[in-house]
Amino acid sequence: MSPESATIFTGRLHPLTLVFGVWQGLRGIWPLLLLGVVGNRWWGIAIFATLSLGGSVAFAAFRYFSFSYRIENNELITKEGWLGRSERHIPLARVQEIRIEQHLLHRIFGVVDAQIETASGQGAEAKLSVLSRAEAERLRQAVFNRGAQVETTQAPITQPEAVLVRRLTLGELALAGLTSNHLVSALVIVGAIWQFADNALPQALRVRLRTFTTQTLAGFVMHGGAFSLRFWTAIVISVLLVSMLFSMVGSIVLFYDFTLTRQGDDLQRRYGLLTRRSSNLPRRRIQVLKIEESFLRRWLGFATISADVSGNQREDNADSKGRDVLIPLLRRNEYEKLLPLFLPDLAAPRTVWRPISPRAIKRGTMKSARLLVLLAAAWFFWQWNWLAAWPLLLIPVAYLFHRESYRHLGYAMTQKYLFTREGWLGRATRIIPISKIQGLEITQTPFDQRLGLAGLNIDTAGQAFTGGVPRIKNLPLAEAEDLARTLAHQAGLTPYRG
Amino acid sequence: MTEAGTQQALALSQPNQPPTFIPLDQRVMQLWRFSDALGYGIFWLIVLFAVLALSWFRTGWALSLLCGWSAFVLITIAWVMWYPARAYRAWSWRIDGRVLETRSGIWFRHTRLLPLSRLQHIDLESGPLARRFGLASLILHTAGTQNASLTIPGLDAAYAEQLRNWLVELGGNDVA
Repeated sequence: MSPESATIFTGRLHPLTLVFGVWQGLRGIWPLLLLGVVGNRWWGIAIFATLSLGGSVAFAAFRYFSFSYRIENNELITKEGWLGRSERHIPLARVQEIRIEQHLLHRIFGVVDAQIETASGQGAEAKLSVLSRAEAERLRQAVFNRGAQVETTQAPITQPEAVLVRRLTLGELALAGLTSNHLVSALVIVGAIWQFADNALPQALRVRLRTFTTQTLAGFVMHGGAFSLRFWTAIVISVLLVSMLFSMVGSIVLFYDFTLTRQGDDLQRRYGLLTRRSSNLPRRRIQVLKIEESFLRRWLGFATISADVSGNQREDNADSKGRDVLIPLLRRNEYEKLLPLFLPDLAAPRTVWRPISPRAIKRGTMKSARLLVLLAAAWFFWQWNWLAAWPLLLIPVAYLFHRESYRHLGYAMTQKYLFTREGWLGRATRIIPISKIQGLEITQTPFDQRLGLAGLNIDTAGQAFTGGVPRIKNLPLAEAEDLARTLAHQAGLTPYRG
Repeated sequence: MTEAGTQQALALSQPNQPPTFIPLDQRVMQLWRFSDALGYGIFWLIVLFAVLALSWFRTGWALSLLCGWSAFVLITIAWVMWYPARAYRAWSWRIDGRVLETRSGIWFRHTRLLPLSRLQHIDLESGPLARRFGLASLILHTAGTQNASLTIPGLDAAYAEQLRNWLVELGGNDVA
């Protein structure tokens, strides 16, 4: 038997799988139990609870006793079921990411949830719930070291040392929260708290609270004039303050003790105050890297970095799990130094940014101007007042905006990477390894054709967290065709390895 | 365009001289006209039925309704005659080295470039109507997100098969 075909290790779920099965069952039925206590309907509830709890215990036991996994022939193999056995083979070289999640309860018992992702783009390929911490670590090491080794050389397995790349301090996390525009999510949290209060608080207290708020509001209304301005200012400021506080707290809770380490080719992130999360991402799998400097962050000199691996799919709760960013906050002078860690051979000095066609300014200005003239005309016919012409005053502003947007838009190319950049007040820079380009598309609308311009879309295998397909707009047609051909030929020279 | 076509495409894909674009098989115009006419024909009948039913209840409307229907039929006939020819002229493809390039679109023009080493798999598709015309489409799949597949319609059925094998060969051989 050659060394590759040997079974490296076999493993089972942790016995606590059973306990967590019961916990899951309890979580599903606790409102019912509460109802039973309050409503004095003991018998029915007890029978129902026993049945459903019994069901989840049986299910957990079944999973615990029937589930096993092993690494063999450079594959991770999971086995499940008694009567209908199912075996899943996942080639180690195809593993994109291992995500480990540890809720508060998991942490007390020292166990974790592990999810193994491949490029299939259909969520986790294997879910191992729950494993002991040490076992998860062993699995991670085995998968990534073998995977990397298969792809590169047949050198003996050496354990590269983990190097700390970056740790975020509490202050930085607070700043990340303050500079994020999470006004909406803050309102959602307020709503959720209100809902919770509505469900959990005793009736009497709730009624008292409601009468208090309505009376205060009525008091404001009584005082007439003061109501309009002072009241609304107070409302706006308090909503702003509350949302800032919430997003600050949210950011700290989510990303507490954020560390990014690198072990060979493998980038590892760990973060979280209550739920600890960690994920491993081989850097050679990065399809697109995005550096985002929103207006506020750019002004303060900060940026956020996000990355996509192939097959990434945006789940509803990706943001709330912190999956969408690689590093939540970073100083501008830092990321230039860190980028070669994520994308090898990026150290070479960047070539100058090439501009798009200056016709973009006129085009954009005309578009805005048409809209503003239309608005002014509509207003004028409605009011018959010359004051209605004020939108026309915005045309110079539109011109200024489009000119600055044009100046800040551009692309650049090195031997291995394509860069695109856009945005005046806020800025987004995307870096695409040319070897990851899957296809290119030049599009021309009828307006484009009149101006001799074209847009270029650069398709890659993952675009969930970096804002859709990278696109360069308003290129002269000949330049777009040249660029597309150059990129396609260069991409064609390298085989795609996920 | 069969064996000769492949030879032509191969000869044209020399690195020093950029190959010219190759049009689709001319029969595809007939196929598009036929399938469009079929679709519109069913629609005409439905509308005609509605027109007749309405005329039954409102006799005074009958003439204007029928005139409207005939105008509609004439416009769609003109469209069915004109559009496929125009779309055919807009469609072309070529293989330049190891990159497949297609052009299409009349008002919204698209040029798509696909490095053949990115091919995941190729589908050869030929519906019942297309088979009658001896035509087939190639659908090329990549691991991409937005444009994960690229279709070349209206190829001669035998040639499409040849082309598929050739594309697989070109895509599969890694450059040293």
